[in-house]
Amino acid sequence: MTFRPASVVVNLGIVTALPGVLGEPIRFVLNWGRKYSLWVFNFGLACCAIEFIATSMARHDFMRLGVIPFAHGPRQADLMVVSGTVTDKMAPAIKRLYDQMPEPKYVISFGACSNCGGPYWDSYSVTKGVDQIVPVDVYVPGCPPRPEALLHGILRLQEKIAGEQAGIGGVSRPDLGAEAERRARRDVAALSAPPVRPPQE
Amino acid sequence: MNGVPGGGLAKGLAVTLKTMTKRAHTHQYPDVEPDLPPRSRGVIALLEENCTVCMLCARECPDWCIYIDSHKEEVVVPGAARPRQRNMLDRFAIDFSLCMYCGICIEACPFDALYWSPEFEYSEYDIRDLLHEKERLGEWMPTVPAPPAHDPNGEPAKEETSAAKKAAPPTPPAPSI
Repeated sequence: MTFRPASVVVNLGIVTALPGVLGEPIRFVLNWGRKYSLWVFNFGLACCAIEFIATSMARHDFMRLGVIPFAHGPRQADLMVVSGTVTDKMAPAIKRLYDQMPEPKYVISFGACSNCGGPYWDSYSVTKGVDQIVPVDVYVPGCPPRPEALLHGILRLQEKIAGEQAGIGGVSRPDLGAEAERRARRDVAALSAPPVRPPQE
Repeated sequence: MNGVPGGGLAKGLAVTLKTMTKRAHTHQYPDVEPDLPPRSRGVIALLEENCTVCMLCARECPDWCIYIDSHKEEVVVPGAARPRQRNMLDRFAIDFSLCMYCGICIEACPFDALYWSPEFEYSEYDIRDLLHEKERLGEWMPTVPAPPAHDPNGEPAKEETSAAKKAAPPTPPAPSI
């Protein structure tokens, strides 16, 4: 899913191919750094966003876990938390902002609506899960989930980051299937329909 | 502010100073178990023995996130005219990515097969793992808290009074005057 120039691929190959001495410590340090400085970008769309805000406030305070909610925008963020009902109207915006995030980037789907549409799975206008448009790393169940559930989701994400084969230029996602990769590669324009013109006389 | 210049500032600073010496109320969640409120709705547990496959929960579910499969088995009772039929549960699954945690299934269950458990630590990397089959739903059962104690000033439960009536010796007839 990540486009890598040939030179970066070669570098990555050298870094990961070197046995234990160089590759493994660098991998560990990179993952350790990424794990504990997740600049988060909250895509709050519904009531789950309130729980996200509650998690960022003093009582739960996810800055203890290294999640920093001060990203100025998607271009400064590492983690996007999609909390709330994703509508088909909103989907291109989510995709556009996700595409602007620098690699490596992670997505937490927070709550039933962004997991799979939730109570609105039968609606004409609701996207049946944010994983239809962007690849999701951790799904947090709940309607809305407790703030502690988001903290647990962040811990799961940190475990995942610690275990990944990180390199220069991005993180490969072999866990995603071909279908998810096709969705992730899809262009924003494919998600939005042209405006409906009034019938001409 | 009675027109005193800087009165509001002093008031604000006083509040700041008062709270400054107090301990932070941050919950240290991953290190310390959170104290969840009573009747906290974390996950739904299934007591499989109590389920009679009446399908009421699946029908009442507003999201239709409960999946039940069953088959009928004939039970031959010696001495009975005909063999009886009973439902056997094959599959009971709740899709927690879809569930809206309304608890209607738990309310609707006439045989107390479903319970609320306060557990919330089951976020997943793959959305398919959020579909909990009956084995996984059964694993939540030990985490279900005990029901709240009966109100000491309340009336005793109907079952208790009827049992006490049966156990008590028959009362002598009221003396007639």
